[in-house]
Amino acid sequence: MTHGLWTLKIKVDGETVVDTEPDLGYIHRGVEKICEARDFTQITTYCDRLCYASANTWSHSYIYAVEDLLEVEVPERAEYIRLIAVELQRIASHLMWLGAYGPDIGNLSVMVWCLREREMMMDLLQELGGSRMHYNFPRVGGVKRDLPHGFAQRARAKVSLFLNRIQEYEALFDESTIFLIRTQGVGYSKAEEMVNHGVTGPNLRAGGVNYDVRTSHPYSVYSELDWEVPVERPSVKGADCYDRYRIRVEEMRVSAMMVLEALEKIPRGADTYHEPGDPALIAKAPSRAPEGASGSHHFEDSRGESMFYLAGGGEARGKNPYRVSIRSPMFITIPYASKCMVGYKVADIPAIMGSFDPCIGETDR
Amino acid sequence: MGKIVSASSQKAAAESMASALSSMDGVSAEVSERTSGTNPRNVVSVDCASDNWRQLAECLRVEHGVDYCSMITGIHWPEGGAEKNWEVVYHFMRMGISNPPVVDGMVQPIITDPTTLEGTDVPLEIEVRIALPETTDPKVASVQDIWVGADWNEKETWDLVGIDFEGHVGMRRVLQPHETPVGFHPLQKQHKLRYHDFEEMYDDAQGFLRKPSDAGKIK
Amino acid sequence: MDGDGQNYSVFNSRMLVDTVGDITDDALKASRIKDVIGVLVGRVFNWSQRKSLFPLHLGIKCCALEMAAAGASRFDAERFGVFFRSSPRQCDVLLVNGPISKKFADPIVRLWEQMPEPKWCIAMGECAISGGPYFQSYNILEGVDTVIPVDVYIPGCPPRPEALIDGFDKLRQKIIRIGAAPDDGAPESKNPIIVGDD
Repeated sequence: MTHGLWTLKIKVDGETVVDTEPDLGYIHRGVEKICEARDFTQITTYCDRLCYASANTWSHSYIYAVEDLLEVEVPERAEYIRLIAVELQRIASHLMWLGAYGPDIGNLSVMVWCLREREMMMDLLQELGGSRMHYNFPRVGGVKRDLPHGFAQRARAKVSLFLNRIQEYEALFDESTIFLIRTQGVGYSKAEEMVNHGVTGPNLRAGGVNYDVRTSHPYSVYSELDWEVPVERPSVKGADCYDRYRIRVEEMRVSAMMVLEALEKIPRGADTYHEPGDPALIAKAPSRAPEGASGSHHFEDSRGESMFYLAGGGEARGKNPYRVSIRSPMFITIPYASKCMVGYKVADIPAIMGSFDPCIGETDR
Repeated sequence: MGKIVSASSQKAAAESMASALSSMDGVSAEVSERTSGTNPRNVVSVDCASDNWRQLAECLRVEHGVDYCSMITGIHWPEGGAEKNWEVVYHFMRMGISNPPVVDGMVQPIITDPTTLEGTDVPLEIEVRIALPETTDPKVASVQDIWVGADWNEKETWDLVGIDFEGHVGMRRVLQPHETPVGFHPLQKQHKLRYHDFEEMYDDAQGFLRKPSDAGKIK
Repeated sequence: MDGDGQNYSVFNSRMLVDTVGDITDDALKASRIKDVIGVLVGRVFNWSQRKSLFPLHLGIKCCALEMAAAGASRFDAERFGVFFRSSPRQCDVLLVNGPISKKFADPIVRLWEQMPEPKWCIAMGECAISGGPYFQSYNILEGVDTVIPVDVYIPGCPPRPEALIDGFDKLRQKIIRIGAAPDDGAPESKNPIIVGDD
């Protein structure tokens, strides 16, 4: 239910999977076509709904591409606020994954635990963005509103509590024999193969290589914070499901530390409040893009590298983009994950598929 | 502080690749600097003729080590004139990733310090644009065998935009239903959205005239 | 089975079952016992159905996460009897929580037809009500009520879990009004109820 709506056709020999073919398109909404009739600000609402488990990362990915198209520079305080929103969303997305992966393996109670933690993160995101799930948070040139009063204090309390709770999850999973049997040695994937197929993000970092779009094609203020890209040490045959589970737990930790640090380092402090429209929060941006202009941006989404390519000069004399093209990491990973299943048993399919963290919303666009 | 790839080494690597590519015929490459929030980034931007695409692709893969095909976009420009009626934009990245080495049966994770990367190890972004003339069946050579990541991207581009990829094995509809009529590629500009010219706010604020076009289906 | 040599084949026959059933039915109707039983049992069935609505464990898009949150510990729909089932044969309610694309129109109608009577449908979220933000799309139906009869609409994008629980409450009130089986000759109007209407 929480991984999405798609079909996987498998060919089996007894209990062993011989061939797989994914069948997507059940929630293909034609977002790329609809966006040609919308303003740049209106498209942000569509981008939230692309991958609904991780809405902020997608709307930020889009907004950075628009800022590339319109050539806008973002003030630093806005970058910090965006970073806080994106990293909180990354934690929430990984919690949703963990909450869905447990039931895939058979552990139903962790779903309720993870959703409880996710509610904490969603409360913080609700303070920033206004709604529980689709925030429409960033604006072209910055953010609309500042951190609410008292947000820093609440965020610190909740994130510190969350850092303690991660240890509970690790205790639950790492000491559970059934979980270890079902995930270790299942679904091997090697780093070079993954790059050839186009897989990035935590799935690639589980393979033992520290490639992260935040450090390799730097954007935002990640260089100001003190953090290390989390990397896993896989087994000789490649990364298995257990490595992909561990890398996401580590990512949650790293994101939580980044949020705490960003609240310290934000310019002018986290407790000062600027009115909406203040130049410290948002820069003036043109609303039309000239014909022939194009903008693109890579972004580290919770599931990999997401990218938007925008061509300017559309209807309404440039207020609408001419073409919006969306690169979804999961669209590329799902065929690869289906290939990873060959050779394993039918009962391993949910374990392997769940460990790659599919989100069909972004796949089908 | 968090370590990132330095902008100067990226710019140097981009310029060396751009000059190497410009020497091929049919190809013109340059380095464009893009804004990226507070950090600028340098992208190798290549314009290629569609006849030289296959040769350029092999050169990128073999000589320059571009190992990751990120996205393939097809654009339909009906007013572009005879020169640029269709456009295919490829986005590639050079990641320089290899399998982590195994020492004494233990895998050593590759932890590179991004600040020390130089030369061909620097991660780079490459954008290749191919303009196609006015035609009813646009075609580009497929690179499915060079980068596996191009496989599903090409299927999607054909499915939605209608650009055919010569040499692509197993072309099929991936996002639209399999029973979509042949020749229906929705992202072409002659297909309009539902209620395209209907200014709901002014003509019919309460929606009385609006009827779903799927009305009459079985209930 | 239908072997000729069996002694008790006459008791297994379909004809016997139908005949006995018809005789009993006529007798009960004549003596008005059937009406009494119908009223009593109908009330009990109605009570049990509205107190234990089992939706299908189907998640289409974003509203599915709010459905999951409604089932989790903070909002806890299970205390109202709402328990998600994986097979459509065991469900009462089809909770449609996302846009229906052309590819999925056929499967969702098939899911609806697989559900046994009495069944209801709740359209959750804007996409299921009218196509939502994708009403202009070439691939999305304008609302699930173009293919399935809907009983309760829950607006929101996505509706909060409290709104979903309120939607189940409105369905509960509708079941009281129209009786256990939807074709039971309901005296009042069968208009669908929109959450937030009162």
